[in-house]
Amino acid sequence: MIWIETIVNGVLYGGLYGLLGVGLALIVGVMRVVNLSHGEFIVLSAFIGVSLAHVLPGVHPLVLLAPVAVIAFALGFGLQAVLVNRVVTRPDPFASILLTFGVAVVMRNLMVEIFGADPRNLPAGRLAHASTTIAGLQVGVLPILILVVSIALFTLLQLLIMRTRFGRIVRATADNRDVVRLMGVNPGRVYNVVMGLALALASVAGMLLAIRSSFTPYSGVERLLVSFEVVVLGGLGTFWGAMIGGIALGVAELVGLRFDPNSGPLYAHLLFLVVVLMRPNGLFGARS
Amino acid sequence: MTLLEVDALDAFYGDFQALFGLTITVDAGETVALIGANGAGKTTFLKCLVGLIESKRGAIRFAGEPIDREPAERISRLGLSLVPEGRLLFASLTVEENLTMGALNRRPGSWTLPRVYDLFPVLSERRRQMPNALSGGQQHMVAIGRALMSNPRLLLCDEISLGLAPLVIDQIYASFARIRAEGASIVLVEQDVKRAAGAADRVYCLLKGRVTLQGPARGLALDTLSRAYFGA
Repeated sequence: MIWIETIVNGVLYGGLYGLLGVGLALIVGVMRVVNLSHGEFIVLSAFIGVSLAHVLPGVHPLVLLAPVAVIAFALGFGLQAVLVNRVVTRPDPFASILLTFGVAVVMRNLMVEIFGADPRNLPAGRLAHASTTIAGLQVGVLPILILVVSIALFTLLQLLIMRTRFGRIVRATADNRDVVRLMGVNPGRVYNVVMGLALALASVAGMLLAIRSSFTPYSGVERLLVSFEVVVLGGLGTFWGAMIGGIALGVAELVGLRFDPNSGPLYAHLLFLVVVLMRPNGLFGARS
Repeated sequence: MTLLEVDALDAFYGDFQALFGLTITVDAGETVALIGANGAGKTTFLKCLVGLIESKRGAIRFAGEPIDREPAERISRLGLSLVPEGRLLFASLTVEENLTMGALNRRPGSWTLPRVYDLFPVLSERRRQMPNALSGGQQHMVAIGRALMSNPRLLLCDEISLGLAPLVIDQIYASFARIRAEGASIVLVEQDVKRAAGAADRVYCLLKGRVTLQGPARGLALDTLSRAYFGA
């Protein structure tokens, strides 16, 4: 029974990992750029959430998800408009890698300067430890909530990209950023919105993660690593693949912790290694 | 009335000069063929018109407005529409989504989705398919339809007969009559000299980035043309 519980909790928790990675998958898919500051923005969102919770005591952290997501959208939009659009059209991928790496380093140190290096978390009161019994299984309320939020956001993203006029423009821009210009589309403006969306999604994940476990200004690297693994496991640029990849990592991590309480995310990383060795294009990527 | 006026246009790829002082005009309602061998500068010329090549000198006026310094996304709104070489359809969009992309910067006019399907009925049957599932000729129809959806005043067609069976080329050329009837001017870039000259009012021949011949398409002498084409 305890194993089933572990796996169920892993699935619930994995939705959060999926959410961490889907923003990165979106950016890679649309503009073929890897944002190495993805993790720092996730951590910054959590700090913004903690600060808001401090300024607005009594407001439940789940309510704060919305304003933090809006702020993260604005930050992403600005990051893209001011910095990344300068390098995105260069044929050399190193330009964007170096740029976003630099942004990550600067942000990490600014966060140490502003917020200090102590571990923080987002207090969620009873919610953090509440649990309920479903079909004889002991399941946390927060993990269920996390999975529901993740699936809802994935569905919304899927609808936005596949069903709306904006989504059509995003896909067309991903296909060919010169040809969309002939239809009056400015690719840079599309990228601004896409980066905003990616970081808004990541900020929600960052907040939920901050309820579950503590973080410091240095946590960005670990967040980026998970995001990367999600993107690669799912197959570059696929949304639902990212979700399934996240769930696989979540299950591997919690099952690993049952075996070996000191392992941390080791087994998730091992799973990643095995999958990449066996299927270099990810679980759902096209076989080359 | 002169719709397009290009005066002494030079274009560059880095240090390499691709166009030398091109002077070309297109009148409203006219079909102009631009012929020349591979590397003559035909595609470069079209890219200059729509704003995809920035390093250029000279004047380009479209409907009286100077457009040589305008970015591509602005030029397209004025009614200049390109059917690019190799079609360049959006691979992750369905046929119908590809067509609606063309309507993003739509000007008032008669071309609508139903009218494009009427012009190319086969596209209506395949509206939900992805472009890669279509034959080469059908993909060209999507590319032309996409360009028409903006109701262009000037339609630029780059090598639309390349790699197609003669019967399919006939079909596509037959559509030009209806496109002209709706009031659009057309620039045809072709390597197939006979076909282009047959469809056009006037012909320009390019060789190594320079205009070597221009004149009415009717009564074009084959030996003059071949000299202009090959430079022999």
